[in-house]
Amino acid sequence: MVRYILGRVLGIIPILVIISILSFLFVHLTPGDPIRIMYGAEMDMATYESVKEKLGFNDPLYVQYGRYLSQILSGDFGMSYKTKTNVADEIGRRFLYTLGLTFASMFWALVIGLVVGIYSAAKRKSFWDRIGIISTTTIISIPEFWFGLMLMQIFAVQLGWLPTSGSGTFAHLLLPSITLGFGVAAIIARFTRSSVLEVLQEDFVRTARAKGQRESVIIWTHVLRNALIPVITMTGLQFGFLLGGAVVVEQVFAWPGLGSYLIDSVLARDYPAMQALILLFSIQFLIVNLFVDISYSLVNPQIRYE
Amino acid sequence: MKSRQKWFLFCVSFLFATAMLTGCAGNSDPTSSANVPAAENGKQEDTTKLTPNAEVTVALEAEATSLDPWNSTDSNSLNILSTMFEGLLSLDENGEIVPVLATDYKMSADATSLTFHLRSGVLFHDGTPFDAQVVKMNLDYVRNKANGMARASFFGFINEVTVVDPYTVTITANEPNSAMVAYMAHPSATFKSQKELQKKIDDSKYNLDRHPVGTGPYQFQEWKNGQYVKVVAFTDYWAKEKQAKLAAILFKPVIEASTRVNMLKAGEVDVVTSLPTLDARSMGTDSSLDVYTGPSLNVLYIGMNTKLDKYKDKRVRQALNYAVNKEQMISKVADGFGTVADSPLSPLVKDYAKQQNYVYDLDKAKELLAQAGYPNGFTATLWTRNSTEFVAIAENIKMQLQNIGVKVDVQAYESGTLFEKLDAGQGTDLYIGRWGTGTAEADWGLRPNFASDRVPPNYNNSGFYMNEHVDQLLDDALKATDNNVAQQKYAEAQKTIMDEAPWIFLYVPDVVIAKRKNVSDVSVTLDTVRLNAAYKQ
Repeated sequence: MVRYILGRVLGIIPILVIISILSFLFVHLTPGDPIRIMYGAEMDMATYESVKEKLGFNDPLYVQYGRYLSQILSGDFGMSYKTKTNVADEIGRRFLYTLGLTFASMFWALVIGLVVGIYSAAKRKSFWDRIGIISTTTIISIPEFWFGLMLMQIFAVQLGWLPTSGSGTFAHLLLPSITLGFGVAAIIARFTRSSVLEVLQEDFVRTARAKGQRESVIIWTHVLRNALIPVITMTGLQFGFLLGGAVVVEQVFAWPGLGSYLIDSVLARDYPAMQALILLFSIQFLIVNLFVDISYSLVNPQIRYE
Repeated sequence: MKSRQKWFLFCVSFLFATAMLTGCAGNSDPTSSANVPAAENGKQEDTTKLTPNAEVTVALEAEATSLDPWNSTDSNSLNILSTMFEGLLSLDENGEIVPVLATDYKMSADATSLTFHLRSGVLFHDGTPFDAQVVKMNLDYVRNKANGMARASFFGFINEVTVVDPYTVTITANEPNSAMVAYMAHPSATFKSQKELQKKIDDSKYNLDRHPVGTGPYQFQEWKNGQYVKVVAFTDYWAKEKQAKLAAILFKPVIEASTRVNMLKAGEVDVVTSLPTLDARSMGTDSSLDVYTGPSLNVLYIGMNTKLDKYKDKRVRQALNYAVNKEQMISKVADGFGTVADSPLSPLVKDYAKQQNYVYDLDKAKELLAQAGYPNGFTATLWTRNSTEFVAIAENIKMQLQNIGVKVDVQAYESGTLFEKLDAGQGTDLYIGRWGTGTAEADWGLRPNFASDRVPPNYNNSGFYMNEHVDQLLDDALKATDNNVAQQKYAEAQKTIMDEAPWIFLYVPDVVIAKRKNVSDVSVTLDTVRLNAAYKQ
């Protein structure tokens, strides 16, 4: 197991090098000149050239990449063109917000998704199963943007129970996390339902039933252990996605996380911030995937990695 | 039961941990506190003159780009900056130039120099005094192109700044320039403390964008990226009668327009800048809200690449102008919040002269096209920004030009990409533009868009419109020492441009802001929301 983990961690390094090259090229080849965006329509060529020289844009691309690489290896992600602040500090600050939002969203997603999924499967073709299927299909189809604005309209504007947007308190976290969490919950519910149904067809379930075990015992002790593997994969993917900054929801609720930072950075062609964020999101996905693989064996000890 | 309790405890502790995490994040930036708060200078803040608990929150459509007046060109930054920085002159609500840090000024007879007498007893927020030396140091820094300030070109007209005595300063221009006074009244022509500027000169990495120290009624306290900029009342402000009436103003960036509207309705913000026009209609009926609308300094237009054969003939350009029903466009696209452009300038701009407009006339448009050799129209590509408003204009143009056989292919780009395509100067056909004349005087409204030396790269005459007569008129107007002469030259320039029609002149959009009724004395000048006199009941 340790060897497996070590191998996976080492395997991440070449992937990161490739990602750093691709993200650098992607960012630099994106149309739109950051200087022109920063300085507006009426800037003279002398100032333009002076700023271009200062930012090192006159060097060939491979020299710029070399400089970037040596910079990030020393832990420096550069200064943001737009905010003129340290990119690593800014990401550190905003990461906490995104992490908070991700955990809260995953909380709703797992609690609601698992309960609905398991219950629907256990009571297959019942009234509540149909309700579950219809509501999850509906929620998956609703755009997050609209759902968030509706929640805001009802709970913040009409009822006045929660703040419309912003951050700082637990109350601020509720609406954006519910908006995100419900979407993921619907996906998890559907995955859990079909996975549980599949396992319920297995021979060992029939044997357990023949032995007279209670249905709840069968589901909680026998079925779930096997059924959760695909659910964990999906949960991991969703977690990685949310950690990558839930762009739309962060924008709707003015949540100062990585999603809104990414939007700002792309609009301003803020190269250092864009590069750092792409790299960070890639690392997050790699780490989440690693945890997902490891968690398989924790959930089902029969799975062992060599 | 035991396992249920465990689950319950787990859930509660999880939510608690998440809340703590968010809470921590909310207070994680101790570094961006006040520059030099009054208390640090040994002065106790006198809050008795302030309305109790008076803090006003403003929702901006985007985050400020910089709090350095020389490095920001966007209105969101200017809204904040106008509470902290002051210049020698300013424009009042009627667009008249009024002295602020100057007591009076005089332009030389040949329009080459401008002498200011300065107000004494003015203090910066860091306690240092304002005088002629500060003016010289500021202007010398900003116009030095090596310093890479976004507004360097704006001050490019200055040849020399001379300190005559501690409270008198003379600005000499490179050549006669009657617009100098207007330039010095622009929100960018404001002054920062000598102490701050010296820090930047001593250490090039010092970040002036984050350390705004001016002489205004409010001083900087904190900027949390993506969350807010907070300014607080400056108790040593030089004009006691104009002292801040609020304890603090909080500027929050809220990109999503619907969220800004909801925040205002829920009472979480007091003022919203840049309101969607559709919401402005419904908000006007809400008894707790005030909606302000008025013309802006902007003009929306469709540029034409005059280097292309099809637009070389003036009659084609005029035909396109006749073919667009601007009233219909304002009603459909801007919900009625705008007025038809009857000049390349907004009516708020000094020396604006109303011109004979192209009144919607399809027959005339078709006739002109036929005369120019395009009886069946032609195909065109229209570049637009991908914002809702611009795309709606583009689609409307496409629909309207169809009536004269001009088939338009709309291509929407993110604004940065569009700028780059226009700067490249190749492949341009039709494009949607918006120009805001920040100085509110004609030269800045016309020269960047129509002068022959302002074609791409990096200037705004993206349609390559070149006309020696217009160039001459603009130069003559700038050199004119007599206001009437300048006015006449600018009027002729506007007439020529309207006749030559290098743009399809669309409309002047309204500024639309909303506020809660209990906040008073919020005004809009030069498209900037002014809160210096605001108070809360």
